[in-house]
Amino acid sequence: MNVLEVKNLKVVYDRDVALDNISFSLERGEALAVIGPNGSGKTTLFRAILGAVGYNGDIKMPKGTKIGYVPQKIDLERDLPITVKEFLTLRDHAAPEKTLGAVDLAPSFLGKRIGELSSGELQRVLIAWAIIGHPDLLLFDEPTASVDMAGQKTVYELLHKLQEEHNLGLILISHDLTVVYRYANKVLCLNREQICFGVPDEVLTPSELARLYGKDRKFYQHAHS
Amino acid sequence: MLTPELQIFIAASLIAAAGGMLGSLALLRRMALVGDALSHVALPGVALGILFNLNIFAGALAFLIFGTIIIWAVEHKTKLPVDTLVGVMFTLALAIGALLTPKEDILEALFGDIANISQFDFWLASLISLAIIILLLVFYKKFTLSLISSDLALSAGYKPHILEFLFLMIFALAVAVGIKFTGALLMGSIIIIPAAASRNIARSMNQYLAISAVFGILGAVLGIFISKFYGFPPGPAFVLFAGALFFISIFFRR
Repeated sequence: MNVLEVKNLKVVYDRDVALDNISFSLERGEALAVIGPNGSGKTTLFRAILGAVGYNGDIKMPKGTKIGYVPQKIDLERDLPITVKEFLTLRDHAAPEKTLGAVDLAPSFLGKRIGELSSGELQRVLIAWAIIGHPDLLLFDEPTASVDMAGQKTVYELLHKLQEEHNLGLILISHDLTVVYRYANKVLCLNREQICFGVPDEVLTPSELARLYGKDRKFYQHAHS
Repeated sequence: MLTPELQIFIAASLIAAAGGMLGSLALLRRMALVGDALSHVALPGVALGILFNLNIFAGALAFLIFGTIIIWAVEHKTKLPVDTLVGVMFTLALAIGALLTPKEDILEALFGDIANISQFDFWLASLISLAIIILLLVFYKKFTLSLISSDLALSAGYKPHILEFLFLMIFALAVAVGIKFTGALLMGSIIIIPAAASRNIARSMNQYLAISAVFGILGAVLGIFISKFYGFPPGPAFVLFAGALFFISIFFRR
């Protein structure tokens, strides 16, 4: 069953077309990677799904679909006196300890302030925040720079595990093609308009990638060890 | 039973506690100056209240709600730069208020005077402040979430625009009751200073809200006490004490 169906989506900011003619769908248990150069509308797509920006076209989700959203970053001042535990329970759901465990963070993090966390830790807390509400659809916006924590599972292994455990639809914005090949069932290439959509091995041909990123750009298709 | 002295302490403490808690939420999103700006909008209302012998609170509240709706609408319905418009509108309001206010009342309008609070105003200020405290406690998680990230609030199924509007309305109410205490010019201090001091030392949101309220009350009680003793106006005395607390709190910054 589709957890999300997008048809002819168009988003315009100040006469500037940020997204045009986007159509794709996602089923439960599927992972969709969204790729594209900077400014290609990836984050805008998420904000349209969330309802944070106005749009034309259709974004359909079954009634009562719960969304978990992991933003690239949150704009918090470092000295904000809010603890991880308080942040996780802002959503009225209990069991913050268990949720932290699911993202490989020790319970001792509950008492830490959000501002004390490293960017890798903050990202995991944001993932915990997103899954604490038992979402049907998880939107993950990858930070441009890698924030993985040494000696731990990568965020992608974590997301993959969570996705299987909860059978949720996952959309991840990624800057790393290795991640796309390894973890995504489908890929959506954006450059303000839809360049490709389908199974990664089929649609990510060199000519499509050149269309997406421009001819001269080198892709960082490096392998993770 | 409630002597006039006691009434002043109670009303001022409740106003300051409500303002402190409100301020701690407002400072989550660098909204500190909204309080300052809003209090200026109240001034024409205060002036009309004095001129026509109406209740100052009612005049102030009417103008505040009007000002709040304008800020909210500009932020969400237009693409105008909010701070510029806020700056222009609010100095205009201050100028209009200053022209309208009778000369002999201008000090009270600008700096407040809770010492001659009427029986009716005492109950009004106390009950409204209490209502603000209760509203903030009930909605504090939702407000916090939409103030720190409206996208996260949306993903959780909340309506951040509506929550923000509700927050600004509570803000307007708080400013309207606070005007009696510190006046239009110093009202921002009730909202900003105790919260800023609390933020320096609090380790969690719960502490942050509680300490803001306590600092507000402390400033109010000490300020009124000193003003009785030396015959100062209570509003500026409050600001001095709250400011002192802020500077002390810097040394205990965690």
